[in-house]
Order: sequence, then C-alpha cells, then structure tokens
Amino acid sequence: MTVRIIVKLDIKPPYVVKPVHFEGLRKMGDPSELAKKYYDQGADELVYIDIVSSLYQRNIIFDEIEKTANELFIPFSVGGAVRSIDDFSKLFHIGADKVAINTYAVQENPDIIDNAAKIFGNQAVVVNIEAKKWGDYWECYTDCGRMQSGKNVLEWAKEVEDRGAGEILLQSVDSDGRNRGFDLELCKKVVELVGIPVVVSSGAGSLEDIKKVIEYAKPSGVAIASLLHYDKNTIKDIKDYLRKNNIEVSK
Amino acid sequence: MSNIIGIVNYGIAGNIHSIKKAIEAAGGKTLVINKPKQFNKVDKLVLPGVGSFKDAMQELENNGFIEPLKDNKKPILGICLGMQILATVGFEYGTTNGLGLIKAEVRPMLVNAKVPHVGFNTIDVVNDNELLYGLEGEEYYFMHSYEVINYTDIAALTKYNNHSFVSSIRKGSIYGVQFHPEKSREAGIKLFKNFINLQGVG
Repeated sequence: MTVRIIVKLDIKPPYVVKPVHFEGLRKMGDPSELAKKYYDQGADELVYIDIVSSLYQRNIIFDEIEKTANELFIPFSVGGAVRSIDDFSKLFHIGADKVAINTYAVQENPDIIDNAAKIFGNQAVVVNIEAKKWGDYWECYTDCGRMQSGKNVLEWAKEVEDRGAGEILLQSVDSDGRNRGFDLELCKKVVELVGIPVVVSSGAGSLEDIKKVIEYAKPSGVAIASLLHYDKNTIKDIKDYLRKNNIEVSK
Repeated sequence: MSNIIGIVNYGIAGNIHSIKKAIEAAGGKTLVINKPKQFNKVDKLVLPGVGSFKDAMQELENNGFIEPLKDNKKPILGICLGMQILATVGFEYGTTNGLGLIKAEVRPMLVNAKVPHVGFNTIDVVNDNELLYGLEGEEYYFMHSYEVINYTDIAALTKYNNHSFVSSIRKGSIYGVQFHPEKSREAGIKLFKNFINLQGVG
C-alpha cells in the first residue's frame, strides 16, 4: 500500500497562507491556482483548511471551495468552521470528498462525528486534531492552535475512532510551520493507537523529515505545506526521494 | 447512438458533481437523472454512492429507482458503494437486500491493516473486458471499509496488506468498480473513456 502524499492548503479567504505556529500568516497565493499546480505535480490528495473562520466565528465560504474543487481529479478534503450536518452536506455537494472537523466537535458537540458518519459514511468524516505537548502528554487545541480544550490527544483520538471517524488529520501546534521535523512520538503514538488511517502534518522542512516520520510512525499519509509553497521541493521530488528509499508511493 | 451517460442521483449527498466532471473530461455527454422516467433519455447509467449500504438502498426506494434498476438493460457502471449495492445483500448497519444484479455479498473488509482502506492502489485485471481494457496495473483511489464477496463475476482484484479483494466486477453489461475513477487522475479519465466507448450489450 502506498503512503499518500497530501498537500495542505491553509486558507484565510481568499488566500492560501502559511502560518508559523499557527500564527503570523503569510500570503502564498490563490487556492484554485495552487490546487491545480499541485494536482499537476502528482499530489495524491488535497486538504483545504480555512484556518480563520472558526476563530472569527464566520461562516464557511463556499465559492472559493467550489472553485478549488473544480480543478481536481483527486480526493479533496475540506475543513474549518464546520458546525452542522448541513455544513457537511453542502461541502459534499460542491465537491468535497471528505470533511474535517475540529473545534465544534471538541468544544461543543462530539456527537456530530457519530451523526455525520452515519449519514455520509465513516470514510468521509475526518477529525482534525491540533496537538500541543505538555511534558509527557499532548492536549487538543482548537481554533487554529489558540484555544485549549483540556482534552488529552490520545484519549480523544480513540474516542473519535469509536464515534465513527474514518480518518485523523494530526497536526502539531509546536512543530507547525517551523520546518524542523515532525513530532515523531506524537505521530507514532496516535498511529499505533487507532485502527483508522492517520495523516500526519506539521513540521516537514526537508525530504528527510518526511522519510523519517514515515519510517518511524508509519502513517497512512503525510500532509505537506511550506516545503511546497516556497517551491523548495515539488511533489515529484518528494515521491522520487521516498521511492529511492524503498517507501512505496503512487506514480 | 446518441451515447448520453445518465448519472443516477438518488438523493444521497455525494460525488455526482465529481463524476459528471470526470466523464465530461473524458469527452462524454452526461445527464443527471433525478427520476426513473428519465432512463429513456440516456444510453448508459452510472450508479454512484457515498454513505452506507442501508441508507443507499433506502434512498433508491424512496425515489422509486429499485424496480427500474432491476429491469434496466442498458450498460451500467456502479462506483464504490454504487458497485456494492449491485450485490444480493449487505451487512452494514444490519442486513439489507441489495439490487441483486450480481450474486454477491458485501461484508466488512477482513484485513490486518487500517480500515477504511484509503489511498492509491493497483488493480490486477483477472478477466479483461471493455471497461478495463488497457488499464492493467493502473493505480486508482480507494476509500472503503466494506468489500464485495463474489466468486463468479470478478474482473479485477486488488491487494491490501496481503489481502486480495474484488476491485471490479462484470456480468454482461453490468460493471462495478470499488475504487473512485473520478478521483484517480488520468487513469480514471481513461476508464471513463472506455465506458463511453463501450458498445453496449455484453
């Protein structure tokens, strides 16, 4: 089975931005143009996360998402400010294949995971976890790394699996945007704990970082942002490098 | 033949839009079918599906599609859950009768690996046919927790952590794929081209 090489677009509508530690946003470009570029490079999947709407309590901006979806013949996950079954439904209708949820499920109503999984199928429900390390444990954060929740990441990961989530997108508040490598222990612990696919994110600063997290934690996919946005590497570079290191990736 | 491909829209949230876009990229003409009486306006059918076996059958029934699909003689392509509901019976959220067009059962994947099975994987064509012509060894995107158990109409198999499962079926003019051609880059467009070029009754 191939490891999925996924591109993560962090969006502050109408731009793709690059946060450092989930803050200090830099504009990177237009979502649909970047989506097309990474599709052409051979990305296996695209994740679109609106990183500000939940925080500002704004509604989802559907037009931009639809425009981005139109450029792609690969799976497309969308997250950010998802608060209801109706949001899930609208997002699937405009071209999302999976919908990612974090803040609302963690802070207000975890039952939305069960309900969405029953209606749309487990495979379509992704739980986005923003983990911050405190000594020997990790805590779930929300609203783009700003709000504490008091929830333990490992307990929450298990809970969302039991509730019917089909995938976990695992981000690290500490490593995000710093390009110094993944939180390897966090990745490994979550992958080993749950039976559903885990996509790890936050920290890819080099090709070697990506290889390391795949070998150490064995995730189902790796989501990459800055490394690609700054044109340090292309998807092709990443796949060639992994293949050379005996890691199976798609064409 | 006018060669219009009807995409059956039976009320479930889903990938109708993506499938339409991919068929059009392959050069096909499409019509989204909301009512069974529209069947006579098209030459071939695509049956999509996202969600659970039980809900899909319920929605087909609510929209009056079950009998017309059972009686249908046009070439039909079931995609993902759309392939699964061609089977006799499914065991997702209880036991539910499928369309019964293919003698098969749909059960949870029995594999010692992460489920759902998500990502690009290769198809091994075991019985070549017009739909899979030239696609041996191509990679397709999979996203499923259940698999079709069938012994007589297997067209392709796929391996997931040493577990072989049915990734495509074919019986006469009834075709099914477990993967998502609409999410599989050029390999998916090629499959839709084959479906568009399909000469009809098998």
